[in-house]
Amino acid sequence: MHQKRRPFLALATAVFCLSAFFASMAVAQANDTIKFGLSMPLSGTQALFGADQVKAAQWAVADINAKGGVNGKQLEMILIDTAADPQLGINAAKRFVSVDKLPIFLTSWSAVVKAVAPIANREKVLELSVGANSPEIATLGDYVYTTFPLADVDVSALAQYSHKTLGKQSAAVMYINNDSGVEGANIYKSMFEKSGGKIVAYEAYDAKATDFTGALLKVKAANPEIIHIQGLITDLPQVIAQMRQLGITQRVSSYSAGYNPKVIEQLGAAAEGLIVTSLAPGVNDNPNVAAFIKRWQTTEKRTPNGLPYTQYLYDSPYIVAELFKWIAKNKLPATGENLRKALITIKDFDLPMTGMLEVGADHRVKKPVYLLTVEKGAFVPLATIK
Amino acid sequence: MTFSILLQILWTGLAISSYAVLFAMSFSLILKVVKIWNFAQAGFMCLVFYSLYVCLNIFDWPMWIGVLASFFITSVSAIGFFRYGIETLRARNSTSLTFFILTLVVSQFMGYFFAMCFGTEPISITKNIMSPVIMVGGIVISHWDLQALGLTTLTVLTLFVIMHKTHLGQFMSAVADHPTLARLYGIDVNRVYLYTIVLACLLMTVGMYLFGLKVAMLPNTPLQMMLLAVIATLLGGMGQVFGAAAAAILLSLLQSLSVFVIPSEWQSLLIYAFLFLTILFFPQGFSWQTMKSFLGGGKT
Repeated sequence: MHQKRRPFLALATAVFCLSAFFASMAVAQANDTIKFGLSMPLSGTQALFGADQVKAAQWAVADINAKGGVNGKQLEMILIDTAADPQLGINAAKRFVSVDKLPIFLTSWSAVVKAVAPIANREKVLELSVGANSPEIATLGDYVYTTFPLADVDVSALAQYSHKTLGKQSAAVMYINNDSGVEGANIYKSMFEKSGGKIVAYEAYDAKATDFTGALLKVKAANPEIIHIQGLITDLPQVIAQMRQLGITQRVSSYSAGYNPKVIEQLGAAAEGLIVTSLAPGVNDNPNVAAFIKRWQTTEKRTPNGLPYTQYLYDSPYIVAELFKWIAKNKLPATGENLRKALITIKDFDLPMTGMLEVGADHRVKKPVYLLTVEKGAFVPLATIK
Repeated sequence: MTFSILLQILWTGLAISSYAVLFAMSFSLILKVVKIWNFAQAGFMCLVFYSLYVCLNIFDWPMWIGVLASFFITSVSAIGFFRYGIETLRARNSTSLTFFILTLVVSQFMGYFFAMCFGTEPISITKNIMSPVIMVGGIVISHWDLQALGLTTLTVLTLFVIMHKTHLGQFMSAVADHPTLARLYGIDVNRVYLYTIVLACLLMTVGMYLFGLKVAMLPNTPLQMMLLAVIATLLGGMGQVFGAAAAAILLSLLQSLSVFVIPSEWQSLLIYAFLFLTILFFPQGFSWQTMKSFLGGGKT
């Protein structure tokens, strides 16, 4: 009987020893890595932008690790697709928190950021919004912060610039009738009026419209000195085209949605003088950006979709690395609470692609706004508002 | 609002109605002869647009060759859909709901397919969407307006001649009235269906060509545009192809003129209001007879 048991005992001992060995290896490996989560749209209609932003973040992780990682440990990014769908975003956040036990995760797209905020607050896990711009993000709770300027930053700066620097006394606002259009138009209106200017026309248009004649003729009748359009890349060129065809010659401004080569391509000479905003520095403001664009052209044979957003995504693992360095320096465990403490304490980050970032106690960030204008068929810098 | 603004809105509304007219007639023609509510038209409108885009921007073909190629590709695909989709369901005696679902599925499939191939950024068939303008009595008239109205008038007249002055038109009417009887009289019903589909594709091609010169498109745009075609078909009277055209003009003008009474962001609301009222009170279309019947409380 004893003789029969011996091989079984030997086998069990061997299995146990091997399991213990692999478990210890896994623990050792886990201790050598610092993990964080990133949930972005990799499928669906927003995948075109999401995939490029993810690539930028992956490059940053690789670059950080190539330079020795974070205090000798490798940075590891766990990536989950959200398809920009709030429900999938919630699933991703639950996995980060319950399965991967991560103390920090990054995400984007306003609807997703808002949907997962209760999970971050409840579980005391730090959620960083890295590309969404709804002003509501600043009010989502203690554990939700943004590294990306919210919508009011560039539109406010533009409204003030139009009145104070360009000397425009009256403005008309045209906006698409959706959340971002209504919000942005309201910010421009209140800031232009606060600066001392007068809004003489305030016209919305339907998101599905292809003819804007009625609204444009109302704007024409009001005879403003400048026209601000809070639209999307889908409608902005058509609004400007119809505006010019109707003989409306006033200078036009828009926000970051207008900073797209397609606008110039579709409008040709009619785009001249258009003012747009960018929340990330261009090649003339930061030499790293030129190298970044060259990297895209070398590896992907193209420029990225939504360049400024990819710049912010490239910077986000550097912020994560800084937070982990701070808690290691202060000998604190890697928890969401301590990472939040690190974020509030460090406050100022010097980032490779977007420059200085100041995270405020009000859950907003301070960043310069870059104004560009179309001149001779290209976007050229107009002003930087700090 | 001054008189010149009113005239400008009327003119632009009329020009914009050009492609709406063509899409409504295409939809109504298929409904009249083939007897299906062809929501797959949105998918084929995508096909017209993107094939034209490829011909012009990737192969660098001249515009007229691009338009012909696009018309050919769309016609062949639509005939294929009819042969292998619609005919299969007909052979099975499927219900009208099944036809409706099939056309909707094809439309959605094609939308997603083109989104996968061409992305979700807006695309225009020509690089520049600006059109030169002239001023006539204070009214801005663009070259596109003239081209749109001219081409649409020519296409509508051609269809009118085909439908009223040719044997094909007579056969189409016969098949529309009673396909079984038409077959007994020796009419090749399937061939009439095919010619009808080709004519519908012609209307779609001209419409998408005009649309693409003016507006950048996303793969889901045609499905939104189909709504007006459906309402125009209902309003113009079932199977009344030229009634649908008149209804499309009326709806476009009403939408444009509505800025005098409601904010422009709610212009689409009018379309849904018309859809609701038409289905409720004029399910057989709008005519003096139906109007009299409606006002007289249904008395004859």
